[in-house]
Amino acid sequence: MLAVTLVTVKCVNPGFYEPTNLANLGVQLVPFAIMTVGMTLVVLVREIDVSIGSLAGVVSAVLGLAATQDHWNLGTGMAVALAVATGTLVGVVNGCLVALMRLPSIIVTLAMMAVLKGAGQILLDGKWVSSLPLDLRAIAAGGVPIWVGLAVIAGAYAMLTLHPWGWRLRAVGSHPEAAAKVGLPLRRLKILSFTLMGFLTAVATVVSVPQLSVVESGFGSGWELFVITCVVLGGVSISGGKGTLFGALLGVAVMGTMRSVLVYLKLGDQAVYWERAIQGGLILVAAVADRIIALRKSQVTTRETV
Amino acid sequence: MRRALKGFGSYEAGLLGLLVLLMIGFGLADPAFLSLGAQLDLSGPLWESLLLAVPMTLIVVTGAIDLSVGAAVSLCAVCFGLMFQSTGSVLTSGMVSLGVGVLVGTVNGLLVSLINIHSLVVTLATMALGFGIAEGASRGQPFSGFGPTLNPVAKWAVVFAFGAAVWTAVWTRRSVTGQSLYVIGLNETAAEYSGYPVKRSKVALFVVQGLMAGLVAVIYAARRGSVKSDIGQGLELDVVTAVVLGGTSVFGGRGSVWGTVLGALLVHEVRQFASWHWERNELIPLLIGGLLLISVTAGRVIDGIKTPQ
Repeated sequence: MLAVTLVTVKCVNPGFYEPTNLANLGVQLVPFAIMTVGMTLVVLVREIDVSIGSLAGVVSAVLGLAATQDHWNLGTGMAVALAVATGTLVGVVNGCLVALMRLPSIIVTLAMMAVLKGAGQILLDGKWVSSLPLDLRAIAAGGVPIWVGLAVIAGAYAMLTLHPWGWRLRAVGSHPEAAAKVGLPLRRLKILSFTLMGFLTAVATVVSVPQLSVVESGFGSGWELFVITCVVLGGVSISGGKGTLFGALLGVAVMGTMRSVLVYLKLGDQAVYWERAIQGGLILVAAVADRIIALRKSQVTTRETV
Repeated sequence: MRRALKGFGSYEAGLLGLLVLLMIGFGLADPAFLSLGAQLDLSGPLWESLLLAVPMTLIVVTGAIDLSVGAAVSLCAVCFGLMFQSTGSVLTSGMVSLGVGVLVGTVNGLLVSLINIHSLVVTLATMALGFGIAEGASRGQPFSGFGPTLNPVAKWAVVFAFGAAVWTAVWTRRSVTGQSLYVIGLNETAAEYSGYPVKRSKVALFVVQGLMAGLVAVIYAARRGSVKSDIGQGLELDVVTAVVLGGTSVFGGRGSVWGTVLGALLVHEVRQFASWHWERNELIPLLIGGLLLISVTAGRVIDGIKTPQ
């Protein structure tokens, strides 16, 4: 699929493969790759998190307000720490509500999405934060985002493949009751997934805010859909337990190229309007394909999935 | 009357008490908010969310959910606008709006019940698809100038909403089909083996939900005189909150239409008071999201945390 997209692009717009364009694309995609890692963990345990877009908005507001002199003026180090703490805390709350209260994650995170959206708007109070300090801007320069992204991916890959943790997550996602019977800490694993999701969303926000000149309240809107599309497109089963990090990251590459292709095709404003439709369609196609594959595999034993 | 009120249990009474307390509080803070004139002026959105929340209750009772209602309303509204632009006939445009709603519902219903994908995944995708097509087809432009032919529809909204609520409340209590929805929600497999038309019921519910979205789009057009692709944005949150706050279990099998009516009233009053008294619209998502979180947690406590999923 990536290949098809890339070839189409080559025909449509040769200028796409200029090294500078590719480098720009890479830097732009790093935040999404980081969040996709988190979302993969959440989807693997058969949950979902739709609050990350609003969370990114709140984290960006906290970061911007804390770092700038004419607002809270806490210094860049403190600001980054506060931003990451905010994200992690929201992740913990989501995880606890889902795992301890056993609530459906879509309802919890839908509510959280609204709460955070309101909170972000109240924090910024309809204004925007400009004049970000220079040391915060340094984060965006010199390939720092790419190194952070690689570190996150390497860390998650190591945890998922080298450590038994990866298998535990998949076990919880593919059959929660069985996983609980063999003594896996179901609740702890789910809380951990959501916590990492919150943490990684904050990290993604921290590396992407300095790329902008101002922080405003629209930041992060629609990110959740982009990331979920990447994950399901990358073959991570929405019914849990199946999927690889590599696949999900390929999903990011496909969606990233597709997004810039839409811009490059000179559709202008049209592209922005249709993007959400394309994402929805892709999620639907991926979900149907996943279901059909599952049905083919289990024609003898009927297996109920969520 | 007694028949209609059957199913008004202690939870609903508690909710009614909460609503009364809330209204007293709002009245003390701002007496003008309680006046009949103000309430009637502000009541427009209530009928629309009621029309969506009643079928949503039934869908949630069967253990499913429809996150695409807001997107369906947007899509229907844009189709209404586009059709009106090209034909100039309110009747044709209205029919198109209802038809598009039925189409969205059919797609949702078939994917959920025939291919057996979980409804939240299906409707999350159709939500994005619906908003995306609405935005793409209208390019974010508003439609207006529908003329006076449409005006009576806005006045009839209250009748539609009450009719839907009363009829559904009686129907779920009194008819075999209505009761079978609860059986499906409690144990779908058992319901299927007992010969209940599980798949057909689910498709039908999603189709009705879509039809209501089409109707709401027309009512909105009549009330406001203009429509835009973002009118359904966030509507799913209000509707789901009304249903869950009304005591319907998100795991299916428990819930009542009266609870939903009270839930919709609560959500409506909180929303209107926030923009009337505090004049801060950014508080609204915070309050409604908070209401949803609290009510879903409360519902879980009532059900008992130990119950297996």
